[in-house]
Amino acid sequence: MTTLEKNIKAIKSVLSSQDILVFEFKSEAGKKFAAIYADGIADKQLLGELVVKPLRAVKPDDKLEDVKQLLASPEVKDCDKISDGIKEISDGNAVLFVDGEKDFFIIGLKCPPVRAVAEPPTQITVKGPREGFIEDVKTNLGLIRKRIKSDKLQIKTVKVGERSDTAVALVYIDGVCPDGLPEKIEKEIAANKIDIVPDSSYISQFIAKKPRSLFKRCGTCEKPDIFCAKVCEGRVGIVADGSPIALTVPYMIVEDFQSAEDYYITSYRATTLRILRLLSVIIGVILPALYISAQLFKIQIIPLQLLLKISSSVAGLALSPSVEMFLTLFVLEVLNEASIRMPKYVGLALSVVGALVLGDTAVKAGIISTPAIIIIAFSAICLYTVPNLVETTTTLRWLFLIISGSLGPFGMVLFAAFLICYLATEQDYGVPLMAPFAPLVKNDLYDSMVKANINNLKRRPEVFRSKNKVRLQSDENKR
Amino acid sequence: MKINVRQICFIMAAYTVVARLLLFPMELSNISGRDYLFSALAGFAVQTVVIWAVAYLCSRTQKTFFQLLEDTFGNIVARIIYGLFALFFMAGTLVPILEHKLYVHAIFYDTLPSLTVFLPFFFFAVFAASKGFKNIGRSADICFPLFALCFVFIMVMSFGEAKFAELLPVFKTPVTKIFGGTVAGAYRFVEPCWLLMFMGHFEYKKGDAAKITVSYAVAAALVLLFLAVLYGIYGSITPSRQFAVSKTALYFPAIDMLGRIDLLVLYVMEIVMLFWLVLNIQLAVQCISECTGYKDKFIISLAVNAVFIVLTVTLDHKFSAVQGFFASWFWIATLLFTVIFPLCAWALKKGAKR
Repeated sequence: MTTLEKNIKAIKSVLSSQDILVFEFKSEAGKKFAAIYADGIADKQLLGELVVKPLRAVKPDDKLEDVKQLLASPEVKDCDKISDGIKEISDGNAVLFVDGEKDFFIIGLKCPPVRAVAEPPTQITVKGPREGFIEDVKTNLGLIRKRIKSDKLQIKTVKVGERSDTAVALVYIDGVCPDGLPEKIEKEIAANKIDIVPDSSYISQFIAKKPRSLFKRCGTCEKPDIFCAKVCEGRVGIVADGSPIALTVPYMIVEDFQSAEDYYITSYRATTLRILRLLSVIIGVILPALYISAQLFKIQIIPLQLLLKISSSVAGLALSPSVEMFLTLFVLEVLNEASIRMPKYVGLALSVVGALVLGDTAVKAGIISTPAIIIIAFSAICLYTVPNLVETTTTLRWLFLIISGSLGPFGMVLFAAFLICYLATEQDYGVPLMAPFAPLVKNDLYDSMVKANINNLKRRPEVFRSKNKVRLQSDENKR
Repeated sequence: MKINVRQICFIMAAYTVVARLLLFPMELSNISGRDYLFSALAGFAVQTVVIWAVAYLCSRTQKTFFQLLEDTFGNIVARIIYGLFALFFMAGTLVPILEHKLYVHAIFYDTLPSLTVFLPFFFFAVFAASKGFKNIGRSADICFPLFALCFVFIMVMSFGEAKFAELLPVFKTPVTKIFGGTVAGAYRFVEPCWLLMFMGHFEYKKGDAAKITVSYAVAAALVLLFLAVLYGIYGSITPSRQFAVSKTALYFPAIDMLGRIDLLVLYVMEIVMLFWLVLNIQLAVQCISECTGYKDKFIISLAVNAVFIVLTVTLDHKFSAVQGFFASWFWIATLLFTVIFPLCAWALKKGAKR
């Protein structure tokens, strides 16, 4: 058996799957070669152009070094371990064996199927860049490199997943990111041995100090411009292969009230929108609960004229106010879930049946009242002003509803105080979840609920304790 | 450091005011009549001096109050004194809790609810009291703006209805009654003790004593303003106005059109009140932890709150008797713990200056 045959057998004994292809070819002078690669994720055309064609000129007595000189691929690595070769084949690269040689080459031919860079559906902006991350880590890192050309930009890759071997890249800027933070995160990620990491949300749970918390512990983002801005503030960005959602750590709740567009419009408008989002979330979470509380426990909260209208609507209803609100909210959640999962063409019919027929008929049948539908619909709209927090806020809405139905307005206030008390002490990687409000960090307030003019944002957020504190140096005379 | 000076100032400014917005005005006006402002002023004057003394003491030492006691009298005595402080904080919180239960029943419910609607407060208290100074400080960071917003709202809604001429002529009440009001009204306010407990847990910088004292003085001024507005609205019937804060904005013209928006403001202010109520329990838990050396604060908090639950259930419907007893006798303990002990702290071994 020749060396070439031995090497092929060694690989095939481990990678026995049918999609692992072996392409054997000869040079014009008769020297034998074999390229092994995974079908579907390696670029066959490049293999032909950059490897097979140039190697036709190899003579039988040429050494390995001479062969390497002829290869036209820019990504060629020497290798002597079959186990490394197997890893590279699984990753999408090709292994090239030369007859008579024990050592071999790894040729970078990775070309997994990816979609084109497009505007992310969850972070649409009217003004500002429209590029979004995709599922390919290399493309995503390219989008980041395109924006941060600094020599201080560091990208550390960690492999996670015993079977998936998913590449997870930690992106940070040396001197801006707090010392030791990337290492801490890397350690947290590496400490988890799991079969497969299909999405970055797995990573967010690995690195969270309290993964069972109701509240998010990592910032998420689909836009490279926002990602880069966050990295430049001192955060560590995490990009996982196979996921279009990048993570940023440390995270503060206030981040989710800031949208991409806030930085591209006037500071007055941005501030107004941020306050509007905060109010919307508060209203969205407590309005159904407050309505029940008012009806059941403290009717004085409702203005008299409105009270008369409500009383005429609820007169004759078979259900109690809390059961009615529960039912309405339940229907909304079902409609919401179904409309996401249903095929698009059925979705339209569903909205007609769900929103119009079901809602209208339920009111006419005296099962639920019009105010309940209005309140739940408004609450749902309010919560979607901050889409990144919807998972948390919808749960909180249920909790407030249960509490207000049983304990009334005092229960709601008590629960709100509990949430404040809980959130006030929570922190991950030394950054409080409620910063810059609790603890109050005066300078960071300029980009919190308020969005100050760019000229006022001269320093990086203090809460991250960056060594390099200045982010904007401008000629004072111009101001 | 676990807490900072700004947070202490917020605690002084917000919690001092919310603590005095419920039955305090009624109690005070019952004794001192229209001159109740002077009773309050006298109380505040004494406490401001004590707070300044404690704040200034903080500039002379980096030790906590426990360490001061330990270095002067030894560990055993320090533990005994902390045990006494724990008892004082618990006793001092009993009337406010019972008072608060009545307030909750009055402003959160149209009909008189059962005691059980108030009991969940203790779930919150168990959780919050098991947290340390860091939580106290950060909660204050959130509570202060809430308080400021609500107080401004209440004042704006009330101010137009107040006729300040009702407060005239002044000094018609006998001086003994004015001071009687001071003594009887101040038995449950323990602000100087808060500062004593925070001592050594914050980094003192030059001028911080003045900041803390001024924030307390501002709170005192806000309470006096509130008392003046209340008397300006209700005049001689002020002594019958229970839970004053819920009564001042009642006649705001927009209420007819918008409903009881003042109640919504009070609900937000209630969050601040809850943190004020819990602060004393938190400090009681800290004191017990120091006294016993037992570090699991959750268990201590559970035990302390269990005592409060038993007392709240037992003393339900007996508020007047409890209040009368405390007003008659507890002022001695208050004087001892909030004035004499803090001033005596100056005599303790302070060690090296900052």
